[in-house]
Amino acid sequence: MNKGTGVGTGPTAAAAAAAAQKQKTMMQRVETDIANIVDNFTQLVNVARVNDPPVRNSQETFMMEMRAARMVQAADSLLKLVSELKQTAIFSGFASLNDHVEQRTNEFNQQAEKTDRMLARIGEESAASLKELESHYYSSAQRTADTE
Amino acid sequence: MDGNLEISLDKLPVKRLDAIEENGAERYPPDSSYDEKGVSLIRRIDFAWAVEDDEERERKKKQKKSSKDASAAWQWQSMVENLQLAHQELSVIIDLINTVEANDAVTVAGMTRPKPLPNEVLSDLAVSAATKLQCYRQLGKYFKQSAKAFKEQIAWEARFYGALIRLQQNWKVKRQRVAASASSNEGFTIDLFDNSLYDLAAMCRPSSLSTIRVEHDSAGMLAINLTPNSCRSLHFGFLGVHSADIPKNTSKIRTHGSVEQRIRESEKESISDDDYVKETHTLLREVHQSIFNDQVFEMLNREAFNQSVGVNVTGIRENYLQLSIGQGNTLFISLMPSNKGDNQDSADTQNLESAIVPSHSFDTENKWVFPNRTSCEIYLQQIFHENAFVKEKDKPNLSGTQASGQSGKVEPSLLGHRIFSSIVLTELENVVCRVPYLHLMTHPTWHSRTSSWTVFMKVPQSILHAESQSPKSDFQNMKEAIKSQFRTKVVLNDDRINVEGEGAPNVVGLFKSSENICSVNKYECDLADLPVIILLQVASQVIYWLHEEALTVGIKTNRDFLCLTFELEQGETVSLVAHVNPGDIKGGISWWLVMEDGFAEDWKLQMDMHDGASDYRKFLGHLTLDVLYSTSMDLVSMCGGGRNH
Repeated sequence: MNKGTGVGTGPTAAAAAAAAQKQKTMMQRVETDIANIVDNFTQLVNVARVNDPPVRNSQETFMMEMRAARMVQAADSLLKLVSELKQTAIFSGFASLNDHVEQRTNEFNQQAEKTDRMLARIGEESAASLKELESHYYSSAQRTADTE
Repeated sequence: MDGNLEISLDKLPVKRLDAIEENGAERYPPDSSYDEKGVSLIRRIDFAWAVEDDEERERKKKQKKSSKDASAAWQWQSMVENLQLAHQELSVIIDLINTVEANDAVTVAGMTRPKPLPNEVLSDLAVSAATKLQCYRQLGKYFKQSAKAFKEQIAWEARFYGALIRLQQNWKVKRQRVAASASSNEGFTIDLFDNSLYDLAAMCRPSSLSTIRVEHDSAGMLAINLTPNSCRSLHFGFLGVHSADIPKNTSKIRTHGSVEQRIRESEKESISDDDYVKETHTLLREVHQSIFNDQVFEMLNREAFNQSVGVNVTGIRENYLQLSIGQGNTLFISLMPSNKGDNQDSADTQNLESAIVPSHSFDTENKWVFPNRTSCEIYLQQIFHENAFVKEKDKPNLSGTQASGQSGKVEPSLLGHRIFSSIVLTELENVVCRVPYLHLMTHPTWHSRTSSWTVFMKVPQSILHAESQSPKSDFQNMKEAIKSQFRTKVVLNDDRINVEGEGAPNVVGLFKSSENICSVNKYECDLADLPVIILLQVASQVIYWLHEEALTVGIKTNRDFLCLTFELEQGETVSLVAHVNPGDIKGGISWWLVMEDGFAEDWKLQMDMHDGASDYRKFLGHLTLDVLYSTSMDLVSMCGGGRNH
């Protein structure tokens, strides 16, 4: 991903700025989510102590459930971020795409040339075979006998 | 209550002196109010008896149960009993408190929890710890489920995006930025329309297959769903010719489609992702080819109605076009679904062929005259590709109409030429087959609208060997100058036949001093005249050769177009005359011996009349070159032995 590789001038400046901004946003999201997960997990571990009044334990139970849900939601958010990155890679990986396209083009051109050469060779061989067969046929005794 | 009744005696409600002070004042206890009296009465209630009764009852019950089978005791029985007892006590206390409060006699000032016993403290702690542990276990299960779901989602996404990235290397993948949360395809499409056709794009309508949606299947892998029979292939044929290769074509394409269907229907999961991506590539390629075929057909439709091209549209239906080109040849081009069954396809083709009356019927013997169907289809596609794609890329200034116009002209000319060339070849072979000393050689020109053949007349080796063994060495030098083979070249450009031959006398030869130069004739002719022209050319070549042979032995002969005249002694002439008849089955060239002057009367007496020959002419028949050579040598010897040197 060529994001933040440098600010150019001209039409790519806006694109580069947008890409940098997007990268910054994504990093923030990542940090938020991870902080969320860590924070909630810490709280979960902290309420492991068994208190005397059972009502406090019940209260902590509800809090633990809530924090667990928050953790899962943060993880889901991270996964969505990864999906977005994959989609961006699909649609923005121009360098690799171009390379691949060029490579395929060269391959196909070579194949086309090879096929042309092969066709030419086949043509030559068939012409030679035709000539040989014709000369054999027309000078064969069988034909001579037929015509006599 | 048991039998012992306890009685408590209250003091009489008489004011009794409480104390007397020194001063004689009497102190009486204060008068208790009504409430105080009630409270004191309540305080005097003793619940011990009830408690003791309950304990006795419990003991009895326990004894009863222990006397029963102890192993059958329910593990929660004691807890249930304890709870019942507690409930009973609580209900009594609550009733008491309610009664007290209802009577407004007393109010509950406060309730202090009794100090718990150590075992109660520990049991409470155990319960709390167990509850918390249970809570953590549930959380653990929840986390595991979530982790499993996330793993599946990651794997799904990895498969999907991996396949999509691989497809993207060969195809144009587009994303629709719409809220696709409800749909299952997340807005990806594959665009198969080639927008490099700048001019044709304006004329062509994009096919409905151009944009393909990428969807998910049940396993989460990407899937491309196409309607059946949406892929179409180009079919080319000549009317009246029942080609045996129709099933082959459809079976070839149908195999592809059936493979695809089989993969979709069953055992999908057992195929690896690589194979699945390859199959998807294949499917997309089929769709791409189908779009290309649609474009080719559209181009043909456009060009067919262009009068300058030289074709006439004799029939048109949906996805079917019938054209007549050249000399009454009729062909059809149709778009047919690739996945149709064998019988259905051939039935449709035959229906279409029989529904439209051909311009003239062809014999099955002549069907090989027509070019191969597959080669015509390939050529059509190649024309379109060259003119629409290659020219647009190489010469951006070239207008599309010009390119397509050229493409349109090429196709019927090629077909007409190929059909005509087959006919010309047939004629040439007919001629060559009947004359034993003629050889036909085909020259591949590698040009689609030019064909070339050469008809050789070869002097037999026996004659050449015999002459080379002659002791006359000076004639060997002359031998090198005599040709051993003569050629007649036939070139077909589009539908024009050019014949170029050597050996026949022409105007140029008249002005040439040396007779050793073999002049070349060039002229055009029609198909009907071609056999005659060839035979005439060959006959003149034979005459020329005999003339040269006679010259080598020192005899000068007169050579006319088809006649070689020997001057005998006493002024008589004997001529070898060639007679050309293309319709002669036994051979195209027959020979006559014509005598003139002094021999006329003798021949008149000796000749038989029943062969139809005149008195001065003798029919020699269809002679080989050996016989002709020996005949001419005989005539040479008759010309006079002294003239040999």
